[in-house]
Amino acid sequence: MEHIVFGIGITALAGALATVAGSAEDTESNIGSQGDPNSQVQLAPQMGFLHRIFNKAVAGEPPAYGLWCCLGAGLAWAFMAMQINPVLAIVLGCVFATFVQGVYATTAYVGRTASLAKFGQPVYVDILKSMTTVTMAHAFIAIFCTVTLCHLINTALGHPFPLPLLGLIWGIALGAAGSATGNPYYGKERQYQNQKFGAGVPISASGNIVRYAEAGERNSIDNGWFTAKIGGSASGICFGLIVFLELWRTVVFEAINPWYAIIVGVLMILIFTVIDRYIEVWARKTYGPYTAPKEAEA
Amino acid sequence: MSAVAAKPAAGSAMNPGAMAVGIILTLILVGICYVMSPGAGLMALIGVVIGGILIGFGTHFVPVGGAPAAMGQAPGIATGVAMLATGAGVAGLFGGAWAAETLPATMDPMMQLLIVVCAGGVGGGLMMAITCMMVNFLYVFGMGIPPASGKVANDPITGDSQAEYKSQGTEGHGLPFVSFVGGVIGGTLGGAGGTLIYFELLNLYEGALPGIMNVTAAQVLPIAVSLAGMFAVGLFLVNAVLTAYNITGTIEGPHDPKFKRWPRSIVASAVASALCGLCAVLIVVPLPF
Repeated sequence: MEHIVFGIGITALAGALATVAGSAEDTESNIGSQGDPNSQVQLAPQMGFLHRIFNKAVAGEPPAYGLWCCLGAGLAWAFMAMQINPVLAIVLGCVFATFVQGVYATTAYVGRTASLAKFGQPVYVDILKSMTTVTMAHAFIAIFCTVTLCHLINTALGHPFPLPLLGLIWGIALGAAGSATGNPYYGKERQYQNQKFGAGVPISASGNIVRYAEAGERNSIDNGWFTAKIGGSASGICFGLIVFLELWRTVVFEAINPWYAIIVGVLMILIFTVIDRYIEVWARKTYGPYTAPKEAEA
Repeated sequence: MSAVAAKPAAGSAMNPGAMAVGIILTLILVGICYVMSPGAGLMALIGVVIGGILIGFGTHFVPVGGAPAAMGQAPGIATGVAMLATGAGVAGLFGGAWAAETLPATMDPMMQLLIVVCAGGVGGGLMMAITCMMVNFLYVFGMGIPPASGKVANDPITGDSQAEYKSQGTEGHGLPFVSFVGGVIGGTLGGAGGTLIYFELLNLYEGALPGIMNVTAAQVLPIAVSLAGMFAVGLFLVNAVLTAYNITGTIEGPHDPKFKRWPRSIVASAVASALCGLCAVLIVVPLPF
């Protein structure tokens, strides 16, 4: 019984860490414009809209976070093997992984933006200096939280995978959850803030992203500030729920009977299916159709 | 023939000759494994091939909208096919590997396999259910956009009409119910396939490595777990990326016309899995010469 209570406590802590990680990951990717909406950041200069948005999408978020979290976890694991305190080892590992993220962000921004030189898009050195450190700070939070929860899963809950492999797995899952949930909010709601609320961006508007802020030109820190409120929070809740529920059903039910954990998982899927259907029906009823339904032909 | 002169619909055409070559290649690779390691190695390779096929087939179910979905221009989840399928699959692999660790060694091997694969499948399905639900949550409550499909007039499961819920100038947005169900099925198949690969390779390594390295089974366990886990993640990426090429960008789910391309993909997945699986098997098989 004590073992299960201890496991639930660790599960709650891991869920909380995952929530912070998901939120920081989405905000980092939005500041760096690494998700799918980056296609518009890359397209805008080609349509004649020069901008001051950071642009580091040379890899998808899942493989990028898989690399950074695996690197942080691997280095932390090596430091722990050298008898360094786990807290210090994880911090050091994540600092080195964050440096790699910084190098990646710098070279990606310079490379991607330089490729737009023929369209007149400048490489802004002040953007490079001010944005890179902000993405690195958010990346450190995301990597640190993920590596810490991997360490907890490995040492406190007894998962068989070694720390670097757990870092790779949960880094990929973090990027997948963060990009899936947070990207539409950054792409539709922020980059196309000049379009109507409550409708998708018409394909004809592609490339015409918002480039001016309340004062002066908009930059990526403005985008991070905006998307952290809903996109970041939703990504955090998404990744937090994934980690918490996956661990919870295993810690509580696996020891009693392995089939119970599977049945509880299926029940959870059914519950989320009902919630999703409720959201869909609510949206259709509340927002209504955009056009009148077509009359059935006689 | 130049690329300009190629038929526009060539992407969805099946090539029976190429598929036959693929099947023959798979059989040749399985035959090599039979010669090199007829017992445990062959069983592991067959498990890897089946797991790879499950991943490749399951990826077709995952509703992925890519960059257009990020602007609310197309339905689906706003990320890459390979990215999302891998994210769900490795989450399932995590659960399946954990279940494999906790099962008693005295349990019937087939029952062990069943539990582990089911645990992996449910882990992947749960990850996708949460992600798909949160995507719709954000579209509806964050952006005020109702889900609508661009490929069908009515949702095949609920019967809801779709055309009038598409905003002007878009192909749809969000995840209609059929796409949600497709995402869960895709995550489940991916998680089950990845876990099957892991479990089969783990059994092979646990049996073969102590003899090769002259150590006890307990000492070799961390190496076996790490090796099997790395190969499982690697095979996941191989099959998910192959399928992403077959899908060519975006897919709404099982109701999308692109879904019909799956036979081509599973043949490719079988060949790729057989080749990668053969490498995974041969690292613990002494060469006969």
